[in-house]
Amino acid sequence: MDESRSTYKKIVHSGYFKYYRKKTLWFLATLVAAVILNFVLPRLMPGDPLAAIMARLAPGIQDTEALRRIYEHYMVQFGLDRPVIQQFFIYVGNLFRGDLGLSFSRFPRPVSEIIMSAMPWTIGLQLPAIIVGWFIGNILGAIAAYSRNGFDRVLMPTALFVSGIPAFGMAIILLTVFGLNLGWFPIAGGYGIHLLPHLSWQFIGSIIYHYHLPFMSIVLIAIGGQALGMRSMSIYELNADYVRYSRFMGIKDRTIVRYIFRNAMLPQVTGLALSIGTMMGGALVAEIIFGYPGLGTTLLRAIREGDYPLISGITLVITIMVLIAVFLLEIIYGLIDPRVKAAQFE
Amino acid sequence: MNKTILEVNGLSTKYITRFREDVYAVRNVSFKVEEGHSLGIAGESGCGKSTLALSLMGYYFAPLHYISGDIIINGKNISGLKPDQVRKNVLGTEIAYIPQAAMNALNPTRKVIRFIEDVMYAHGSKMSKKEIYDLARERFEILNLPADTLHKFSVELSGGMKQRTVIAISTILSPKVLIADEPSSALDVSSQKMVIKMLHDLMDLGFIKAMLFITHELPLLYNVTDDIMVMYAGQIVEKGSKDQMIFDPIHPYSKGLMGSILVPEDGTRNIKLTAIPGTPPNLKNPPTGCSFAERCKYATSRCKVYDVEYTELEGGRGSRCLKPEHELRGLYDDGKVDFSNE
Repeated sequence: MDESRSTYKKIVHSGYFKYYRKKTLWFLATLVAAVILNFVLPRLMPGDPLAAIMARLAPGIQDTEALRRIYEHYMVQFGLDRPVIQQFFIYVGNLFRGDLGLSFSRFPRPVSEIIMSAMPWTIGLQLPAIIVGWFIGNILGAIAAYSRNGFDRVLMPTALFVSGIPAFGMAIILLTVFGLNLGWFPIAGGYGIHLLPHLSWQFIGSIIYHYHLPFMSIVLIAIGGQALGMRSMSIYELNADYVRYSRFMGIKDRTIVRYIFRNAMLPQVTGLALSIGTMMGGALVAEIIFGYPGLGTTLLRAIREGDYPLISGITLVITIMVLIAVFLLEIIYGLIDPRVKAAQFE
Repeated sequence: MNKTILEVNGLSTKYITRFREDVYAVRNVSFKVEEGHSLGIAGESGCGKSTLALSLMGYYFAPLHYISGDIIINGKNISGLKPDQVRKNVLGTEIAYIPQAAMNALNPTRKVIRFIEDVMYAHGSKMSKKEIYDLARERFEILNLPADTLHKFSVELSGGMKQRTVIAISTILSPKVLIADEPSSALDVSSQKMVIKMLHDLMDLGFIKAMLFITHELPLLYNVTDDIMVMYAGQIVEKGSKDQMIFDPIHPYSKGLMGSILVPEDGTRNIKLTAIPGTPPNLKNPPTGCSFAERCKYATSRCKVYDVEYTELEGGRGSRCLKPEHELRGLYDDGKVDFSNE
């Protein structure tokens, strides 16, 4: 009994526990803020979405009274006749049941269903692209830092140039060069238009074929930014006192390179956590340009059609995805950097 | 006569700057340290103390470059060896180094014991991790360091503990010579005392055979080392026993340096401190003649022209000045050299 209590005490007062508790609280707080913003922002957008639906659903109806009644029917159906506060609580209550409402533009399909069908495309595209870009960028940056003269002179300007290109610019360049001019890759879509989604080698092949350009457009930008950061961090670590001391203790260069790589990577993890939102934003733009059937394209269409519930749902899902990614990175960071633990006692 | 552990003959090294300029930081330095002895190296900032320490390791990497000279440790000349041989057979085993900034000397993401394992395996040790741990724990305990330090990261240690841990790691392979570059300058007085005691213990227990102690704090040298060597502009200007050097320096520069010591005793506030005017010469183009001539109150036109040799005097001491000893003594009739411009 005593022992378990002291173990409990030890855990609660340990640096890791404090760190994770703090990070979890922050995660929850940002989540609440995100939910509120996601509810409020679409309602501040100009334009009446019901009017848009009406215009599409009932183009031939001239009777104003009939129009008014249809309009009111929808007002009640979507809950827009109630006070905003009440709408919010209904919204939150529905969220807990995984109900994001019904889409206006693709009425009566539920928003959650639309998002679920677009999400695998987005995750399948962005997660590997960001991870691959991060790793390649870090390795290139580290190599550039060691080989100060040769490789560095080529990589540095290239990385600066590539990381300076906005996401849509990169997508358009790739699309024009490899899609339109060279014709190596298709210019739009997630799979061939003549195919129906089903499990077959032909379909998978088509997916991979369509995957190249959007994937590369995200990876290239990630590589550029990460390589620059890793290069300067590695140079900084190379000149650190512990490197010199390790050398004078006769530690092998190979071991020292390992020290440097590991330590220079720590700020890169934080950097990834900070930039993952921007990266995802860029990746959504890439989806739109390549007409990739993910969340980005769906979001663009939802905005065009004033589809409140869908916009709100997609932005919420994206925000949660970013928050989870950042949260996971911070957990990982806590595990790999002992200084985090020590800092909690100060 | 005792056995000579470290012998340095005509060692010269230089830095090559970004702009391909040579900076001659250590110029033709020769000295010997005998078994069981410790040598203090004193001088102003930038005089080449730390560079000498780095040069003595025999392991050069940019921007430091070897020019000439021999470093003989326990009868073995290490200056001709290939870098990888030096790394494996000299560093840590023959000669070890405690850096100036020991605060940051440990890898922040590696536990102390992991680093000790790296050190052991880098020197071809075949011991198991358990054996290394036992050895490290034993050594740490002898040196009055808690064994649980081994399982800590450097951020979890206080400044004084970090410094002592670094010293324990540096000497884990029982090197013949230990070079301590300002090991206590950044510490509070009680931590400083513990560090000094630890260095004495290492000598007494025979883990190290000789020590070089670099500092700008002269009173500290008097308490730590047997002999003192004063450096100026990359050269040795005077060497002697600690008593000779502190109470009876001969060279005008050492005289001025000793005159700058603050002693906490009654009336210190009223004593006018003497400081040496001017700045050390630019070592990109070392001056011909005596390096100190520009700042020396007693310099004559000859001093600025003739290259001054280091001359051995009686009693194991030596100095680098054109003027003979008796003439210099005549100049310091007031017992204290006064460099103030009046």
